[in-house]
Amino acid sequence: MVSKDIKVNKEKILTCFHYTSDLTTYEFESNYGIKMLICYIEGFIDRKILNDDILKPLVLGLKDREKIRQLIFSPKIEEEILFENIVDELSHGKLAIFVDGEEKAYLVEISSWEKRSIEQPGAEAVVRGPKEGFIEDIAVNKVLLRRIIRSNNLVFENYKLGQQSKKAVSIAYVKGVVNEDVLEEVRRRLSKINIDAILESGNIEELIEDKPMGLFSTISNAEKPDVVAAKILEGRVAIFTDGTPHVLIVPKLFIEGLQTSEDYYIRPHYASVLRFLRTLSLFISIFLPGIFIALQLYHQEMIPTTLLISAAGAREGVPLPAVLEVFIMIIALELTKESGLRLPKSIGMTVSIVGALILGQAAVQAGIVSGLTVIVVSIAAIAEFTIPDLANALVIARIVIIVLAGFAGIYGITIGFIIMAVHTLSLESFGVAYGWPIAPRDWEGLRKDTFTRAPIWKMVFRPKVLQNYNYRRQVPPRKK
Amino acid sequence: MKRKILTTILATIIFLTGCWDARELNELGISLVIGFDIEDDKVLITAEIINPVYSSEEAKGDQIQSVEYVQGIGNTILEASRDITLKFDRRLFISHNKVVIFGEEFAKRGLVKNIDQLLREREHRETAKVLIAKGAKAYEVMGISSGVEQIPANYIAEIVNNIKYNPKTGDVNFIQFLKHYYHEGRHPVAGVVEKKSKDEINKVGNDGSDKDYELTTLGMAVFKGDKLVGYLNGNDTKSVNFILNKIRGGIITFPTPSENQEAENLRDFSSTVIIENKTKRDVEIIDNKVILKAKINLKTSMGEIIGDVDVSNTENIKKMEDACSKAIEEGISLAVKRVQEEFKVDIFGFGVEFHKKYPDKWKEIRDDWDQIFSEAEFQINVNTKIIRTGLINTPLFKIKVK
Repeated sequence: MVSKDIKVNKEKILTCFHYTSDLTTYEFESNYGIKMLICYIEGFIDRKILNDDILKPLVLGLKDREKIRQLIFSPKIEEEILFENIVDELSHGKLAIFVDGEEKAYLVEISSWEKRSIEQPGAEAVVRGPKEGFIEDIAVNKVLLRRIIRSNNLVFENYKLGQQSKKAVSIAYVKGVVNEDVLEEVRRRLSKINIDAILESGNIEELIEDKPMGLFSTISNAEKPDVVAAKILEGRVAIFTDGTPHVLIVPKLFIEGLQTSEDYYIRPHYASVLRFLRTLSLFISIFLPGIFIALQLYHQEMIPTTLLISAAGAREGVPLPAVLEVFIMIIALELTKESGLRLPKSIGMTVSIVGALILGQAAVQAGIVSGLTVIVVSIAAIAEFTIPDLANALVIARIVIIVLAGFAGIYGITIGFIIMAVHTLSLESFGVAYGWPIAPRDWEGLRKDTFTRAPIWKMVFRPKVLQNYNYRRQVPPRKK
Repeated sequence: MKRKILTTILATIIFLTGCWDARELNELGISLVIGFDIEDDKVLITAEIINPVYSSEEAKGDQIQSVEYVQGIGNTILEASRDITLKFDRRLFISHNKVVIFGEEFAKRGLVKNIDQLLREREHRETAKVLIAKGAKAYEVMGISSGVEQIPANYIAEIVNNIKYNPKTGDVNFIQFLKHYYHEGRHPVAGVVEKKSKDEINKVGNDGSDKDYELTTLGMAVFKGDKLVGYLNGNDTKSVNFILNKIRGGIITFPTPSENQEAENLRDFSSTVIIENKTKRDVEIIDNKVILKAKINLKTSMGEIIGDVDVSNTENIKKMEDACSKAIEEGISLAVKRVQEEFKVDIFGFGVEFHKKYPDKWKEIRDDWDQIFSEAEFQINVNTKIIRTGLINTPLFKIKVK
């Protein structure tokens, strides 16, 4: 409880914060002799507002203890009597005003800190479509979303996660469209989180995921407000986390990995071609190096003669077995990828040039690897980059397939494929089948928005698997 | 528990199969053509093995031989092929054989009996073409490459494939050969390869290279059972291919039915290009006599006209069609007659048609079929359609602006 004596209050607050140096406490007296104390955390608040709109009127004009609200020009002013809450709010950037002789404190929201400006996200670049991306500030992110869905049905619910971090987390959904079962499940899982700190949305993702050890992630994340808007308008729930531009969206379907926001902004024919390419690259990326090894080691009769001759010619004098050769190339490639990612941009360029030269030219010329291996591994890597959402899983799947192919040829690849397919299609994301519309089969979904993209006016219904009511998305403007 | 069982199964699958069959590419001697001969009552294998380095980047410029030849001898094919490993550093890999060549002597002793291994061994590919080295040992015709291909095997395979431009060759692969062998009332045929001196072109004189010889696949080898009995010439081969429904292209040349039939025009010929051919074989019994029938439906395009015929006129086209049909009929009748008289074996598969049509009668005569075939009457009906006339209608010498 707040004491009447500001000296006691000051001591209490300082003790609560263990005399941390960035906690500012300032005692002053108004012209009419009322003693006051303000507390805030350095850097959290706007000093100009503090001086002009709070300190100045209080010092000059506070005569009556009750009339403090008339002097402070801020819509966000609350009274608080519980000490724990005051401490809590101070950590979130509020200003606390204690008035001598009152058993309560006034909390004023004048927080302001440095933010990154809104930029195009690096990971989800588009040619057509909005280019703005989320930033680290949750309030700005929420506004970005509301600017797309200007409806009273868009609802945010706030959470504070982590005993130490007290991270501001919001879930967003469209009332009336959202799948209530999923929503309830999200609430339940978030409320069960009891951890010292949430640093990034990835922490939340791992804590609430269905199968944390599964190959594919069952929670998608997006950096662009239009993507989040499109997904929650289909009945999904978005989870905003303060301090990160990555917004989590549940439930996730496997085919979302093959879709991009731009698919829906360009004409459907080309979008369908792109979908087909991405599906192809999914298989190329996982299976090509494995098939290459299987054919080379076990099924030489399946290689066209001319290719076999040039492959044999390329392998002549290569000291390593085929499996090891592919592994060395994959390791070299992952090294280049990782170093290119971590280094400053200027040095990153150098790494990629050196890497390309080493991987492509020098290794082949030195006879350490055959040219064909370089081509196969590079194609698999290039294919992987067309589906960035699944890229991490693809690298692992590829390595598994290579090992199986090295042990048992096409037979091993088949085993690997079956296991992977069964695993993937049996996953669930917040009670929704991950493999929809492939398994469980839904022809409507398969036909309209899986490997092809139907025109918008044909997508009359929302994905059925995400909905338990309210299927209809539109009354199409043209009827057949 | 479930997980444990699954893991055990997976581990078993992976570790029990192992890599017992893995072979690195640089352990294989990739053979593209293999030849079989009989020498001193033993099987002599000759294989043409690719030297893969020839295609690589460093080899460009150096004169590296594209192929190596190896030979092995033994009582069985397998023994002979393992004999090779004593002198050659790589194991023979025969999955990519495009052509299998048998020496004449080998074929005369009986082919099917002696090639058991080729079908028992899983590496061998049944789509390889069967060729008989006419009047020679198989190894004598191997290694001759007078085309553009650097690898002699490709040269042979391609000239066999050229049946689609000129059906005077026999294009028979292993599976077809065996199928025809097992058919009741049918005898197999096989392709022929023959070595001959290369014609001098331009009479400039030979540059002394090894291209003194070239190969030709003209003709067809006729078998009785699994034994070679003789060869057909080029025109007969074409006729046999017609009846076997194996025509995929080629040309037909016939005397031009000129408008004014003078003596000097009788030497004029025209050619049509085959677009599509469909042959139906049939057998009929009339008055206890077996009649062999063949009906040919041919679609052609005018390829060349020497003579005074204006094909923009439908009547003239009809004349050309009739002349074409007649030429084919004559050729086929001649070929059938020659087979009936010379070899007395049914290589056309009329026996198979008979078996299908008169299954009861077939049981009585199955042993005498070849005799019946060689005495039977043969009827041929050719229906030619000229559906295109090329870019010009009237013969070139008649086009004249007045």
